[in-house]
Amino acid sequence: MTPSAPDDALALLTRLSQKPGVQSTLVLSRETGAIVRTSGLISTSSRANANGTLPTSDDTSESYGNGRKESGIQSAEDVARSVWTFVEAAGTMIRGLDGEDEAKLLRVRTKKNELVIVPDAKFLLVVIHDTPPA
Amino acid sequence: MDPAAKARKDEIAAKRAKLAELKRQRELRTQEVDASRQQAAEAAALVAPRPSRADHRKDLDSLISNLVGNRSSSTGPRDSSSPAPGRASRPTSVVSGGENVDPSTPPTQAHPPAVVEQTLSIAPLTIVYEAPADSQPETVTYNRAVQTSEPWEPQRDRSLDSDDDYGLTPSKKTPRASKRLSRRERERDEELRQNIRKEVEEELKAARQLPADDSTAITTAAQESVSARILTDEERNAEESSADYLAFIERSTKVAERELEEKFDVLKDYAVKGLEDAEDEDDGSGTTRGKKGRRVREVAQFFDERWCSKRCVSDIAFSPKFSELILASYTRNSSAPHDPDGIIQVWNMHTHNRPEYTFTSQSDILTAKFSPFHPNYIIGGCYNGQVMVWDTRDRSAARGPVQKTPLTSSGHTHPVYSLDIVGTQNANNIISCSTDGVVCSWSIGMLTQPQEYLELTTPPPAKTEDMAPTCIAFPKSDPTYFLAGTEEGTIYPCHRYDRAGAKAGVDARLSYRGHAAPIMSLDFHPTRGDIDLGDLVLSSSMDWGVRLWKSRPPAANAANSVSGAQSATALIEFVREDVVYDARWSPVKPGVFALVDGGGGVEFWDLNRDVEVPVARAVPSDRGPLKRSLNKVAWEPQEGKRTAVGGLDGVVTVFEVGAELGGLEGVRSEEWTGVKRLVGRLEGAVNGR
Repeated sequence: MTPSAPDDALALLTRLSQKPGVQSTLVLSRETGAIVRTSGLISTSSRANANGTLPTSDDTSESYGNGRKESGIQSAEDVARSVWTFVEAAGTMIRGLDGEDEAKLLRVRTKKNELVIVPDAKFLLVVIHDTPPA
Repeated sequence: MDPAAKARKDEIAAKRAKLAELKRQRELRTQEVDASRQQAAEAAALVAPRPSRADHRKDLDSLISNLVGNRSSSTGPRDSSSPAPGRASRPTSVVSGGENVDPSTPPTQAHPPAVVEQTLSIAPLTIVYEAPADSQPETVTYNRAVQTSEPWEPQRDRSLDSDDDYGLTPSKKTPRASKRLSRRERERDEELRQNIRKEVEEELKAARQLPADDSTAITTAAQESVSARILTDEERNAEESSADYLAFIERSTKVAERELEEKFDVLKDYAVKGLEDAEDEDDGSGTTRGKKGRRVREVAQFFDERWCSKRCVSDIAFSPKFSELILASYTRNSSAPHDPDGIIQVWNMHTHNRPEYTFTSQSDILTAKFSPFHPNYIIGGCYNGQVMVWDTRDRSAARGPVQKTPLTSSGHTHPVYSLDIVGTQNANNIISCSTDGVVCSWSIGMLTQPQEYLELTTPPPAKTEDMAPTCIAFPKSDPTYFLAGTEEGTIYPCHRYDRAGAKAGVDARLSYRGHAAPIMSLDFHPTRGDIDLGDLVLSSSMDWGVRLWKSRPPAANAANSVSGAQSATALIEFVREDVVYDARWSPVKPGVFALVDGGGGVEFWDLNRDVEVPVARAVPSDRGPLKRSLNKVAWEPQEGKRTAVGGLDGVVTVFEVGAELGGLEGVRSEEWTGVKRLVGRLEGAVNGR
């Protein structure tokens, strides 16, 4: 289903961010690293919450808000900056191996969680989620 | 060439003349100098006797040789030591000494450059020129080409390897006529070298400074470029309304969801956790019945609030190419008049609750399937009589059909409840059947008019000629012959073409009677094994039963055509407690079939095991307060391990069956012979009755 309106795109993002285990989502601009949308991350700027895919005031969705506070929420800007530089570095590495190649999907597993990064020509989608229990 | 050569010759001649002139002048000058020197020497000889000075010199030499060691033989020390105190004290002796030292003047002139060269060739320069040695392969070829064709340019020389440069210039240029190298050129070379040196030094300096500045520079740059700022509302709106953004969100969230759905943990350490995980194997979600091999497990449910609520599942099909894709067609949602009446969702086993594709039509879609010959095409039949083709590559927002048949009397004007795609990869047709008895054959490339048009009529001993087929089924081996199940409960064999002793259309000489209510489904046995069971037909009906038939080949009918109309009876009847809406053979197990009923359950039967009771029965896990009946069942065609069922509540549920009911690994040839033997036994019983 191709989203025909920004509402549809927002609905898709909201659904993604409400999936069980998903901690936060970020949509960044590929060129500048500017944050287009974010959810599940606090921001140093007050405007961030207005841009969130979820209204943070009534963030009662149980799969979403519970217990995230103590796991330490980074600010959206920090995550965006780190991820963006990481994607750039990965892009450089890939171009170094093959000049016509490019990154399609990056999965970074850490001890605490997993980052799924979907780079595209103009945007980046970042999903941070809990690793499967095991 | 000639004028140029001549000009050069002239030039050379002029230069020669000039040189000769210069030489002559120099000779004149030296003669004058010599003359004056001799006069002076004679005068000086009177003042200071020579021997004394020679002694003095010898002493000095020995002293120096003691100090310096071996180098006494070289002229250098003597020259450097020649401004001795004795000389300085007597100004006139400079001239007389000059005569003495005269033969060594060339060395003294040659030496200062040598010394200068030593100072020039100190560490920085040599090091610098080795630094850009990475680009050596380029520079070598480049060097020669440029030098032979055109004059140097400073920018290019910058990248030159200096070793080559300095090594080549003399060797290259001296063999040539040295006169050609005019002074101007030499000067320019010198200038170039100076430039290179300067640039290289600057680079070196920069390189030395870099490590210090590096980290700070990069971090500041990163901070500048990665603004990590949050867009303003206007910017965000602009970004989000762009088609790029929408497409990106659609694509990337799909990928991310697929990734999230992947339950298998690639980093799992079995050594650590192996024991704890072993036990939750058995109590998986869904309904588990029977022993392990016959277990039926619910693995997925597909539902979409936006598109599936208040719609019924009208058909389900697996993709023949991608076994994880399941197609489901839906009827209209009467409470949403602005939505398209008919939709098709293509679900992916790996992304629950998010359809891969959604296709629409203006009319309810009653049946749909993937084209077995082209995995991108989905072919469906609609309530208004249209046959439509959707393409999964279609990127338009509406996702309507890419082709559809016209709504004219040349095609169907009644609902199309049944269609099939028959033929081969290179020659296949869509055969569609509407409830007024019209059967059309379409070419997928040209849907504007049917290739064949056939009207089915009920054969003579009947009250009315009209026939209302609800479903058709083709045997796997013969695309020209099919069975049509009707609303009255009779199944008729039909021919697409005229053949010996029979016209195209319903074969009047034979009918399969037994069902007392409309036939809901017909399914020929998929023959994939050692024994051909392709003549076995399964029919389900509203009369609460499923019947197994042995269809007679069309040729056999022709033989006993004289005997008039015959009616065949079923081999066996499976009586159920509810309306049976669909029954389908397993694609891999010869005796296994699945059926869905009005009670909302799916049953699995195995003819080899039991013909009285089902082997397993399962009910989709509840999504609402009501138990809803199930309309359709479909097997995954490759491995036969999964079945999808769907019904009135619009939910598609996928079950996975145990090894005895599906899967390729456990198929034994006894099963085929077992079914064959059972059919023979049943046939004998039927004939003997």
